[in-house]
Amino acid sequence: MLIYHLRDVVMTRMAEGVEFRLTVPSLQISLGEKIALIGHSGCGKSTLLDILAMILRPTGVGAFRFRPEKESPPVDVAKAWAQRDLNFMGDLRKHRIGYVMQTGGLLPYLTVRDNINLSRQLLGMPEDGSVEALAKNLGIERHLDKHPELLSTGERQRVAIGRALAHHPSIVIADEPTASLDPIAARKIMALFVELVEEMQITVIIASHDWDHIKQLGLRRLAHRTSQNRAGTVTETKVTG
Amino acid sequence: MSHPIRKMRNILRLALTDYFYEWQMSSCFILALAAVLAPMMILFALKFGIIGSMMEQLIEDPRNREIRPVGSGHYDPAWFSTVRAKPEVAFVIPRTRSLAATLQLKSDSAPRIIPAELIPTAEGEPLFHKNIAIPTGLRQIVLSESAARKLKVGVGDRVDGSLNRRHNGQRERVHVELTVVGITRLAAFARDGAFVPLDLIIATEDFLDGRAVPQLGWQGDPPLAGERSFPGFRLYASAIEHVAALRDGLAASGIEARTRAADIDIVQTMEQRLSAVFWFVAIIGLSGFSLSLGANLWANVDRKKRELSVLRLVGFRTSDIVWFPVLQALLTGVLGWLLASLIYLGVETSINRMLSGQAGVDSPICRLLPIHFEIALLFTVGAAVLAAALGGFRAARIQPSDGLREI
Repeated sequence: MLIYHLRDVVMTRMAEGVEFRLTVPSLQISLGEKIALIGHSGCGKSTLLDILAMILRPTGVGAFRFRPEKESPPVDVAKAWAQRDLNFMGDLRKHRIGYVMQTGGLLPYLTVRDNINLSRQLLGMPEDGSVEALAKNLGIERHLDKHPELLSTGERQRVAIGRALAHHPSIVIADEPTASLDPIAARKIMALFVELVEEMQITVIIASHDWDHIKQLGLRRLAHRTSQNRAGTVTETKVTG
Repeated sequence: MSHPIRKMRNILRLALTDYFYEWQMSSCFILALAAVLAPMMILFALKFGIIGSMMEQLIEDPRNREIRPVGSGHYDPAWFSTVRAKPEVAFVIPRTRSLAATLQLKSDSAPRIIPAELIPTAEGEPLFHKNIAIPTGLRQIVLSESAARKLKVGVGDRVDGSLNRRHNGQRERVHVELTVVGITRLAAFARDGAFVPLDLIIATEDFLDGRAVPQLGWQGDPPLAGERSFPGFRLYASAIEHVAALRDGLAASGIEARTRAADIDIVQTMEQRLSAVFWFVAIIGLSGFSLSLGANLWANVDRKKRELSVLRLVGFRTSDIVWFPVLQALLTGVLGWLLASLIYLGVETSINRMLSGQAGVDSPICRLLPIHFEIALLFTVGAAVLAAALGGFRAARIQPSDGLREI
């Protein structure tokens, strides 16, 4: 049962005369898997995550299928991109995907409670105490009525994790969620995050530049190789898994 | 709760929460808008008030529609009926010799005898306000304000009119008792004067010429035989724009006439020039206003690109995203207009208080009609929403990942 099935997905970008190319010859992720994407910054991790989150259109797609639940057939994301059906993908994100960014991504004008509740509210889910329960698990229940600006970076990342999980998505994608924190806090929050997704049986993909942080958490590491041509005009990262 | 309503409610709630959470920024936008809109409103109100009252004066003052013959001529009843039939003519009545058109007036309440000019009048008198009765017969009179003041009489009072002549070597004096049926305002006739029916003026002329006036019991030579002709006339055009044509028509038939055409020309030229100046300033102001509003709202959408991208990340559709800046711009537009209107009303009151009386006009110097406020609101909200929608579309068109990764 695959949640993601990608074949020959390519994303090319030009920056200052150098072509950055991300190629994914084949990527298959099963429902319920915990995936780690390890690599130094600039290697294309964020690009892959954005493609998986359907917020970035790849320049070339062989196949891109997304199957967020067992009961329904896979969705053809390649077709949706070809048709530029942004609303269709927006709806998929709203229901099925949670996203944790490296920093921020919270709405400054909403309280912590409303930030966590954002997706639930959008989906018309009931106020059943799950936001409070989640906040308690994340250790931020005393901040529920504050605005994000009053919180520390670590606390904000906890809120971001809470928002990504609150509506019980099929998959949570996290882009270096702890990179801006000190090592001790980073390990603590990462462990808490993985524990929560396990408990909630949510598939997770975490990008990180530091394997040491997460190797003991039982994640499957995606293989990738970065190479440069002789002239230095093309940098290519190949991801398989 | 159905899906679209819930969605709209979510958008409205988030947009308003953001707007009021950022109240300092929002206030700046509102102030910036009002700071440009209020002077525009004041400028327009001044133009509208000043030119409006000038035009009103011009149109309302019947003296501007008068065409006066120069010198005296011979105008018979046939001439008068021809002229009266013209559609451009509002009022025409014969004048007798001006020397003969004077009556000595005396009242019981004032010691002095007042010599008053007699002005022939009839139904449709252009110098009268609507509420002034038209004198009829031989015993009714309407006094000018200055004559009434000197005689110390009011409407309904009686005055004694008297005439004297030398007839067959003897001094003769006759009296006629007149009822005051109206008093005109100062603007209509500034000197001591009395508006009376043409018949009474003809009677005084007959008497002074030595003839008898049987209707009033005045003795003298037998009445004039044949058709009477008059040396002059009072002629008023039906509208200001007909004055020149009427004058030219008279000139073509050999009658030289004088009008206030020069005054009218001056006011009309001034109106055109003031209007041109106003529109010049207004177009510059409006462009500045639209640009500043547009730039502000556009920049604001740019500033919020990341937040808008976050909303798309959690699943708001592209079309929903545009609503955020549009709703906020709508609010800025309405509140800015409200503030500008309040500023304007304050300035209007002080300008009118400062200048009232000085201009010598009843209507205020600075004024706007409700429709002008409505147009200002429509224009402001329209421009605001347009600018915000354009910015919003731009923010919605970029890939959400680009908006997120910026900074």
